[in-house]
Amino acid sequence: MDNKKLGLGSVVSTGVGLIVATTCLMSLGQGAGAVGCVFIIAMVIACALNMLTAGSLAELNALMPNLSGGLAQYTLACLGPFPSIVSMIGGYVVCNSLAASVEAAMFGNVLQQALALPVPATVISVAVIVLLIAANLFGIDMFAKVQDVVAYALIGSLLVLGIVGVIGAGSGQLVEQSANLTTAPKDILGMTAAAFWLFIGVEFIIPIAKDVRNARKNIPLGMFISLATVLLMQTLMVFGFRRYVKWSDLASSPVPHMLYGVNLLGTPGRIWMALVSVFAAVSTLNSVISGLGKICQGMSKLGMLPGIFMKTNRFGAPVAGILLIGGGILLVESTGLSTTTEISFILLTGSVFWMVSYILAHVNVLIMRKRLPKAPRSFKTPFGPVLPVIGIIGTAYMILNISPDPAVRNKIWLLTGCIFVILGVYAFLWIKLKMKIPVFKAMPIEKVMAMENELYYPAHKASERSSAFMKG
Amino acid sequence: METKLSKVEIVTSLSKFTELNETLSKIGVTGMTVMQVLGCGVQKGAREYAKDVNVNMELLPKQLISIVVETERVPKVIEAVKQTLYTGHIGDGKIFVSDITNVVRVRTGEEGIVALK
Repeated sequence: MDNKKLGLGSVVSTGVGLIVATTCLMSLGQGAGAVGCVFIIAMVIACALNMLTAGSLAELNALMPNLSGGLAQYTLACLGPFPSIVSMIGGYVVCNSLAASVEAAMFGNVLQQALALPVPATVISVAVIVLLIAANLFGIDMFAKVQDVVAYALIGSLLVLGIVGVIGAGSGQLVEQSANLTTAPKDILGMTAAAFWLFIGVEFIIPIAKDVRNARKNIPLGMFISLATVLLMQTLMVFGFRRYVKWSDLASSPVPHMLYGVNLLGTPGRIWMALVSVFAAVSTLNSVISGLGKICQGMSKLGMLPGIFMKTNRFGAPVAGILLIGGGILLVESTGLSTTTEISFILLTGSVFWMVSYILAHVNVLIMRKRLPKAPRSFKTPFGPVLPVIGIIGTAYMILNISPDPAVRNKIWLLTGCIFVILGVYAFLWIKLKMKIPVFKAMPIEKVMAMENELYYPAHKASERSSAFMKG
Repeated sequence: METKLSKVEIVTSLSKFTELNETLSKIGVTGMTVMQVLGCGVQKGAREYAKDVNVNMELLPKQLISIVVETERVPKVIEAVKQTLYTGHIGDGKIFVSDITNVVRVRTGEEGIVALK
């Protein structure tokens, strides 16, 4: 009997729900505010590059199916433990901590603006983070059950609000302004990095593959349709922005979607967007704190992080991981994120880490094509190495042009560079001294697959104990 | 010219039978023989998560599926079987291909490819 229940529709709704977060609305508003409707061109380019990444990830998933660690394990099998540790901690742990800090900041900003609270937005943000850390430590995953509802609410809201704006059916005042603030290709291309954030995260569909009917076909197809759907939703929003919000107001607002909601429908619009944003921000924050805690636990099982991350409390919560991630988010948050510039800076920095991971995904595909040319792949990106190579070049271009402002760009490179150096030193020392394996030697694919088996770690521990006993 | 025939033997884990049956039926294979067997490969029966290699071979329960098809269809059959059995884990199985000189249908006395249709 086939117990797999999820069809293509569920894959797409999950995908869209995972990609769209309130931070995307911030990037959308800022991007559109900076160049006008031509931001859609940057969105199309960013979407296409993310589709290439989706193709590469789907091919890697076809070759190494049902791996919980995803990219970390693909990279371990292709490039070895060093790039795997650096990309996993940088691309997921650091990047998601930064993104979660922004979600928390937006939560504070939205609540303060919607309810006109007398406390600073940062205090509200810190309070919600502390609350979620405590809830996760007690093993309470309070938002897991409403996460789907929140995702649907966000998708539905964006579609409805976008269409209402496009046809000019809002109750607010229509704004007369030019469609585009620039048409220079350089300016438009410079916005692709900001647009990239709108489509990031499609790989989170892969873990649900086990529960999907005809996963070989539906997972890659679902990833592509999700990205196309997000592009459609965001495009409608941009056209809606043009009719109801001044580009300059949009660019300077830390909560542009709230501004659009108010200008479009007045107070009902404000309440509508505030509710959706608050739930979406809290649910994203909760996913990051609980999800990354588990990722740290998984990496610890693979020997990539200290054993303390494996330990759970009596509620089954991985304490060290939750505290590390929660603490990291608090640390970034305590710097007082609230303005568009600060939030945008953090998002772009997080994007760089994520982009590096995506480049590694393309490199992994090319390595596996060379190493295992005849291995069966239920999905293979067409045209040989062309599409992964375009993906690498395109993503690298975005890293090099992460911000149109040279000062900001240098600051982002400096920060990401420093973090990568710290991670590199940790990874090198950890692999040499603790894991005691070659730093850059790829692990055989069958070993990486075996590590997924829950008996792998106990069997190896038992074997080590028995050899120590024999030696002793 | 007489159509050449080949035998394709697939050794794989018992759990894959239903899926494999569906695949072979879908690509037009008209008959098969299935046996439950004991065996091991280069791992000598060691589990994929085990750290140590077995000194002696440990035989594990497997299934052996034999089919006979026209030689020209062998690549298509192999590709379909590979796609179906692939999990990436040790123990996915092996496919053996050999020539068949003749096939005889006892009831009618028909020989060669006609005996398979």
